[in-house]
Amino acid sequence: MNGRLPRRDLLTLAGLSAGGLVLPRGIAPARAAGLFPPVAEDKAVIAMGYVGPTSDEGWSFSHRQGLLAVKAAYPKARYLEVETIPYSADATRTFRQFVAQGANIVFLNSEYGDLLHAVSDKAKGVAWMECDGHSLGPNRGWFYVKHWQPSYVTGVAAGLMSKTGKLGYVGSMPVPTVFSGVNAFLMGARSVRPDATMQVILINSWFDPQAAAQAGTALIDNGCDLLFGVMDEAAYLQVAEKRGVPAVMWNTDVRRYGPKSYVSSIVLDWTKFYVGQAGARLDGTWQAGQQVLLGMGEGVDRDAWGESVPEPVRRQADAVRTRMLGGWNPFVGEIKDIDGKVRVAKGETMSDMDMYGCSWPMAGVSGLKVG
Amino acid sequence: MRFQRLPSIGAGVMILARVAAVAAALLTGGLAFALAGFDVPELAGAVISASLGTAFGLEDLGLLATPLILTGLAAAVCLRIGLWNIGGEGQFYAGAIIASLVGLQLQGPPALMLPLMALAGFAGGMAWILLPALARAYLAIDEIITTLLLNFVAVLLVNYLCTGPMRDPHQAVTAASAHVPYEIPAMIDDLHLGLAVAVLLVVLAALALGRTGWGFEVRVAGANRHAANYAGMGVRRRLLQTMLLSGGIAGLAGMLEVAGTVHRLQGGISNNYGYLGIIVAVLAGGAPIAVLPAAALMALLLNGGIVLQSYGVSSYDVLALTGLVLLFIAVGEQLAYYRPAARPAIAPKPAPPLEHAR
Repeated sequence: MNGRLPRRDLLTLAGLSAGGLVLPRGIAPARAAGLFPPVAEDKAVIAMGYVGPTSDEGWSFSHRQGLLAVKAAYPKARYLEVETIPYSADATRTFRQFVAQGANIVFLNSEYGDLLHAVSDKAKGVAWMECDGHSLGPNRGWFYVKHWQPSYVTGVAAGLMSKTGKLGYVGSMPVPTVFSGVNAFLMGARSVRPDATMQVILINSWFDPQAAAQAGTALIDNGCDLLFGVMDEAAYLQVAEKRGVPAVMWNTDVRRYGPKSYVSSIVLDWTKFYVGQAGARLDGTWQAGQQVLLGMGEGVDRDAWGESVPEPVRRQADAVRTRMLGGWNPFVGEIKDIDGKVRVAKGETMSDMDMYGCSWPMAGVSGLKVG
Repeated sequence: MRFQRLPSIGAGVMILARVAAVAAALLTGGLAFALAGFDVPELAGAVISASLGTAFGLEDLGLLATPLILTGLAAAVCLRIGLWNIGGEGQFYAGAIIASLVGLQLQGPPALMLPLMALAGFAGGMAWILLPALARAYLAIDEIITTLLLNFVAVLLVNYLCTGPMRDPHQAVTAASAHVPYEIPAMIDDLHLGLAVAVLLVVLAALALGRTGWGFEVRVAGANRHAANYAGMGVRRRLLQTMLLSGGIAGLAGMLEVAGTVHRLQGGISNNYGYLGIIVAVLAGGAPIAVLPAAALMALLLNGGIVLQSYGVSSYDVLALTGLVLLFIAVGEQLAYYRPAARPAIAPKPAPPLEHAR
């Protein structure tokens, strides 16, 4: 069995709201509605800023697919897209440009923090949605995926496939996505192989194929026999393929870069989310202060298993996936951090917001410090 | 048809060559964009109206030009004494580091803290060029290599500080320091006072280099070190002073970026301003006052790039277009020295072979 999961069918707007559309107290929808009146489709301007090149076949590519779906749904609107926006004053300049060109709603596929707020706080009539953002405003919200869920599922497969139990991780920076991804993957692996460990190398970038390939090589040289990571592109998969080591990827189906090594991917699908957001902005129902975490089956999932993943491994990992889709939370204490401090007491569970803001690596991880 | 090279040309010819070069580059680029299916007149109109036609666009140009003026001035100052400071990037980062540390560790009224941060930024840039300057002055070690290599050290230092001791754990996707609470006041709307500071520094540097005995000594040392030495001008000291001044100016650019626009120390804050400053200085022909139009042109190109991107031009095409403009300017500058020879240039007579003195 190698069929893709019917992700799109699962992904309904109803599911979206059930999956974590939360309105915080204090931001009244009524006030927001006044700020964001309906816009006619042929007058609407929809903007998207990407942190990397949309040709990365990964993170930015996946968001572009989402925007293409919006274009298909609202072909008469005008679209603005800027890729490779650095975390510098250039970001602020780009956002100001969006405002100057009359954008009604702006999506950013990364957190730009102050660089965004410098613009969004003044452009009150523009709706802003920041991916992996952490602050809200009267015209701003954030969205992300519960990537830790498929990370746990693929971690189970990794624990079953690794011979030595030494897993490697190509990371970017000591930020929550890395901490929660590493922890969830290792917890998944340890559920079937309690002695599993994970070595992390951070390369200080989300898009640096050369550094990612070097990190992958170093991890394999150190004895890791399965790689995971959180890169915007697929460079370390090519290293893994060459060295005959399985690898779990992020963002999209990139198996053609390493068909033998490819285990699965934390695969993203933003189409329903973006179409819903753009539609809400056009019909005047868009609300500020949204905190959206798309769950497994709603915008993030494991990809169809790679050709080298044995049938029993698929079955066991998918059984875990099914349980999680049914509401089971595997992130239960006792969990100690890398310094031996108990972070989650026995019997307690980590909520989605705990995972989203995670700032510590669990015991068994090396190469990361408590943030 | 023959051409002859003139030993020097007038400023008018040079300006004409620059304008022609930019026009030729834009035509070439425009042709390529037209072949790729873009509506070039629309794109050109958008760039011009977005950059020059609105207050917003002009503010953006000013914001972008501020660091470029300073890093350009830093490189130009060094060129006056015949040295290449390729380390503007590193000095920019060093200035940003020290200024952020001061802003985060000390507390006081902004009227005191901002000048203090500016001094700290200047000192940081000076500290970062100190080693190359001493090595140049006392050991005659090529400053191009030493200043360049220290750029990479500075980037790594910033990354270390931002992921380690200075890290703000609330940043989700990039490593950055905590928010620096002191902000440079705005002149107009979003345009902060840094631009005025940068322009003032250019004027001061132009006066110091052009109108003072010190500046004369620097220029003589740049033109002919041995002659300057022979005239007892203290070349070594001028060399050290000029390099430290250059580093300090680049460091101040780092401080302005922290306190003016980004408000945090983070990797990538330099936005390549250090390297772009070298291009600005070359475009300015090393003359401090010419740094102003050169930085403005560079800012226009970079800002135009952002506008083009929002019209669907890929960021790589924008980079290529910027490179094309600079290439044409460099070629145009050389071509400006040539004029068609009225008649075949007289070939110099071969010198008679030297007779060996016995």
